[in-house]
Amino acid sequence: MASVTLKNIVKRFKAVTAVDNLSIEIQDREFAVLVGPSGCGKTTALRMIAGLETETSGEIFIGDRRVNDVSPKDRDIAMVFQNYALYPHMNVRDNLGFGLKMRKFPPSEISQRVQEAADILGIHELLDRKPKQLSGGQRQRVAVGRAIVRKPKVFLFDEPLSNLDAKLRVAMRTEISKLHRRLGATIIYVTHDQVEAMTMASRIFIMHNGALQQSGVPMEVYKQPANRFVAGFIGSPAMNFVTATLVADQGAYFVQAEHFRVRLPDVFSSRLAAHAGKPVIFGVRPEDMNEPDEAVSETRGNTVAMRVEVVETLGAETFVHLTCGSHTMVARVAVPDRLLTIGQEMQISLNMEKTHLFDEATFQTIV
Amino acid sequence: MRTAPDETTRMKTVANKISSFVDRRQALVYPAPAVIALFLIVVIPIGYNLYLAFTKWTIGLGDPRFIGIDNFIELFWDERVLNGLKVMIYFSGLSLTLELVLGLLIALYFHREFRGSEIVQAIYIFPFAATPVAVALIWRIMLNPEIGVLNYLLTSIGLPGSLWISSAATVIPALVMVDVWKWTPMITLIVLAGLKSLPNDPYEAARIDGANTLQIFWYITLPLIRPVLIAALMLRSLDNLKEFDIIYTITQGGPGIASETLYLYSYNVAFSFFKAGYGSALMVVVFLIVLVFNVVMNRMRLSAQDI
Repeated sequence: MASVTLKNIVKRFKAVTAVDNLSIEIQDREFAVLVGPSGCGKTTALRMIAGLETETSGEIFIGDRRVNDVSPKDRDIAMVFQNYALYPHMNVRDNLGFGLKMRKFPPSEISQRVQEAADILGIHELLDRKPKQLSGGQRQRVAVGRAIVRKPKVFLFDEPLSNLDAKLRVAMRTEISKLHRRLGATIIYVTHDQVEAMTMASRIFIMHNGALQQSGVPMEVYKQPANRFVAGFIGSPAMNFVTATLVADQGAYFVQAEHFRVRLPDVFSSRLAAHAGKPVIFGVRPEDMNEPDEAVSETRGNTVAMRVEVVETLGAETFVHLTCGSHTMVARVAVPDRLLTIGQEMQISLNMEKTHLFDEATFQTIV
Repeated sequence: MRTAPDETTRMKTVANKISSFVDRRQALVYPAPAVIALFLIVVIPIGYNLYLAFTKWTIGLGDPRFIGIDNFIELFWDERVLNGLKVMIYFSGLSLTLELVLGLLIALYFHREFRGSEIVQAIYIFPFAATPVAVALIWRIMLNPEIGVLNYLLTSIGLPGSLWISSAATVIPALVMVDVWKWTPMITLIVLAGLKSLPNDPYEAARIDGANTLQIFWYITLPLIRPVLIAALMLRSLDNLKEFDIIYTITQGGPGIASETLYLYSYNVAFSFFKAGYGSALMVVVFLIVLVFNVVMNRMRLSAQDI
C-alpha cells in the first residue's frame, strides 16, 4: 500500500481548466473520497493519478515515487470504472485474470488469485459467464474483483455505483467499505453523491470548478463547512440559504432578513464584528429548524412564522417545505402527531448555535 | 354537381372496407410492394436461370430443350470448369485476404487522430468511388509491359520489368493488385466505422492491466472487431467471387484461360459460345459457391457477435 500525493496539479483541455492547482495528500490505507458536482474535475484528477490523462503541470507521487512520466501499467494501481469496463468477449475468469496474464504471472498463481477474489466477492458461480450474462451488481463485483486480484498499491474507483439502482447502491456501499477494512488498502474513490462520500470516506475532498474546496473527516466537513459551496453540497436535504444583513444592536448581533430577524449567539460575536452592517448569507440546515417545543437552542425566541408549502413524509422523518415572504426553506421535523396542511402557518425555531454565516462577496464562512 | 347521397354512402363503405382490410392484414399489405419487386427482379430471373440449367439451348437456334442433369454431368468433364475454379480460388483467396489485412491496418492507422486525417481519408477512398470499368481501362494501360508506367517505374529504379497481364504466371497477382487498390478502401471504411463504435473503457482498463499496444490489439481490438471484419468480408466476397468488370476489361480471361474465373467462363459459354443452357448450369454452381461461403461466414459472424 502507499500514500498518494498531488502537488499543484493543473489540467487544461484547450481553453478549459478542468483541474486548477490541486494539491492533496492521501495517507497510506486511507479511504479518500473526491466528491463534487459533474464537471468539477474529480474524475480528471483520478484519471491523472491512473496515468490515463497527462497533467498540464504539477507532480503526482505514489508512495515516494514521482509517477508523472510512468505509464499506467507501471504505477501499480488498479481502477474500477463507472461503466465497469469489463472485456465483453472474455468470461469472468479471464476478465479477472487478464491483468495477471499480461504481467506474465504463472497460470497456477493466476488461478489461485482468481479463486481468492471470487471467494471474497462471492462470485464463484459467475466465473464462466460473459459480462452480458451478468446483472449490474454482478458486473460491479467482477470489476472490483479485477482490481483486487492484482493486489495493487492503490485502488481507484470512478463513480462505481452510479449505474446501480438505489437498493443495490446501498448494499455495495457497505461491501466496498468492508473490503477496504479487509484489504487495508489505499482507496481513492470518486463520486458526485455526497451520501456515498459521507458514509464511506475516512477523509473527504470536496471539489468545485476544478479546485479543492475543503478536505477533512466527513462530520468535520458537515459541521464546519469552509464556504457556502461546501455547506450547500454536503447534507441532504441541502442547507437553507437566505440573503440577509448582519446587524449589530446594543452589543448583540442579529441576522436581518427581508422577512425575519433572529439573534446570533454571543459566542459568535468576536468573529462577527468585522462584518457588522454588511450583507451576508445566512445558512441553516433542515434538522436545525424545529417546532418550538422541540427546539434545543439556548437562544430560544428565535422563532420565525412560516407557511407550509409542501409536506414530504418519509416515515421516520418529515420534510416540510416552508415559505417566509420570498424566502423558501426546508425543515426536517419529527413525525408530527397532527396533520400538516398546505398553507397553514407554522412557528419554526432556529437552532442558532448550529447556523452558519457566509460572506456575501467571497462566500467564505464567517461562522 | 353534387353526388347523390346513396352514392356517397357507397363510396364511404368501400373506403371503410379497404381501410379495415389494411388494418387487419398489415403484415401482408405493407411489405407487398417490396415483395412484388423482389419477385420480379430476383426470384423470376433465378428461377428462369435454374430452368435453363436443365435445358440445352443455343441462343438464336430454336427453343430450350429439357435435358435433365446432363449439363451438370458435363461440368465434371470440362477442364475449363476446374481451371475456372482454381483461378477463382486463387484470385479471391489472395485479393480478399490482402484487402482484409490492409483494410484493417489502414483503418487502425486512420483511427488515430492526426493532422489532416480527414483530407487523407477523402483522397484514400477515391479508388472505391471510381467506376470499375474506367479504373480497369487505366490499369490495362499501366500494366502494359511495353508502354505501361509500372514497368517504366520499375526499370527507372534499376529493377527488371514484369510481363504483368501478359504472362500466365503474373496475371492473377496483377489483377489482385488492381482489385486490392480499388476495394481495400471499402473494407477500411467499414472497419473504421466498427473501430469508432468500440467502447473506450476496455482499452483504458487494458492499459492499466498492463497490456502493451500489440497485446491490446490482439486481446481486445481484434476480438471486438471480429464481427465487423466478417461482415466486411461477406460484403466484399459477394462481389469478389463473381468479379467480372475488372477481369473482363483488363484480360478477358487471358492470356489463354489463365485469368478465366468460373464466373467469367459461364459468361463466355452463354454469350460467346451462345450455349445458354450450359452457361446457366455454370451460373448455378457459382451461385451455390457464393451462397455456401456466405452462410458459413454468417454463422461465424453470429458466433463472433455473441459477446
